[in-house]
Amino acid sequence: MKIRLMISGRNYDVADALPEELALPDGASIDDALQHVAGLLPRDRQLPDSCLLAVSGTHLGTLRNHKPHALRDGDELVVIAPVAGG
Amino acid sequence: MPDTELSPEELTRYARQIGPGVLSPEGQLRLKNSTALVTRVGGMGGPAALALVMGGVGRVIIAHGGELISPDLNRQVLGCETVLGQPRAPHFAEYLRSMNQYVTVEAIDHEPDDDEARELARRVDVILSCPPGFEERMRLNRAAVEAGVPMIDAAQWGATGTLMVIDPGRTACLRCVYPEDPPFEAMFPVLGGISAAMGALASLEAVKILSGMGRPMFGQLWMIDSYQGRTSIVELQRDPNCPCCGSQGAVQE
Repeated sequence: MKIRLMISGRNYDVADALPEELALPDGASIDDALQHVAGLLPRDRQLPDSCLLAVSGTHLGTLRNHKPHALRDGDELVVIAPVAGG
Repeated sequence: MPDTELSPEELTRYARQIGPGVLSPEGQLRLKNSTALVTRVGGMGGPAALALVMGGVGRVIIAHGGELISPDLNRQVLGCETVLGQPRAPHFAEYLRSMNQYVTVEAIDHEPDDDEARELARRVDVILSCPPGFEERMRLNRAAVEAGVPMIDAAQWGATGTLMVIDPGRTACLRCVYPEDPPFEAMFPVLGGISAAMGALASLEAVKILSGMGRPMFGQLWMIDSYQGRTSIVELQRDPNCPCCGSQGAVQE
């Protein structure tokens, strides 16, 4: 299956190195997708544990602590590194 | 005592925003009888406060400490070169007052501590949270939850921004979404365009909440990524064990 990937928020430029779409085996979970993404990141970059995770608009928690979720073809995985800034 | 009508001069001032799809005369009157707290009033809070003042929110309280410095002027629209090195709050308030004689602007020349945030939250109808760090945001979040006052959290980094609209006790609070404070970054990169956009969107949410027009984005997080040209809306989930708004029923943290 294919899912869309959106990485944004703080240090969003990391997304420059990633595809907008991921090909994953049918039945893949959100953790499978995250592991796949981690493997695509440049060696010196990683996503903060406090990143917000959502799949197709549904909030699942943070990178460190999130609900299990089975992905479906066409889903959009959204990873947002928290931003502040005034 | 709340005002019961708008003067002919006020109706003239707000003529372009009263009508179908915008404010009703009653909604405009509700704005006049409302109080909003905006802290801080830099890149996002400045445009937000300006829109609230120009739009006729009867009392706008702004809080911002420190003096204006040159790097602020890529985004802090309430400042100008002639007040560089001077305290922000009084100058920003003076500018806001010059934009609308029909509203009251209160200036606080520092960032509120826990007690002051709590006291302010009890005085206002909505809080616009626009500070540069999570510690201050969480302080406002606690105060909003305790007082049961809606809060709009606007945040930015580089060319991206997030907007979160919170109805305490009903929708996720900031602590539900970020259980741990992310690290503070003093000189974060930011473009003035995203600051103004996020501040303007925060003010729109406040106007909807205060006036009763439209549908506020309660319980949602709106991510706008101008760098990638992408946007996303997330339906936020409350954390039943949230130390701020969870089932314990009181602010625990």
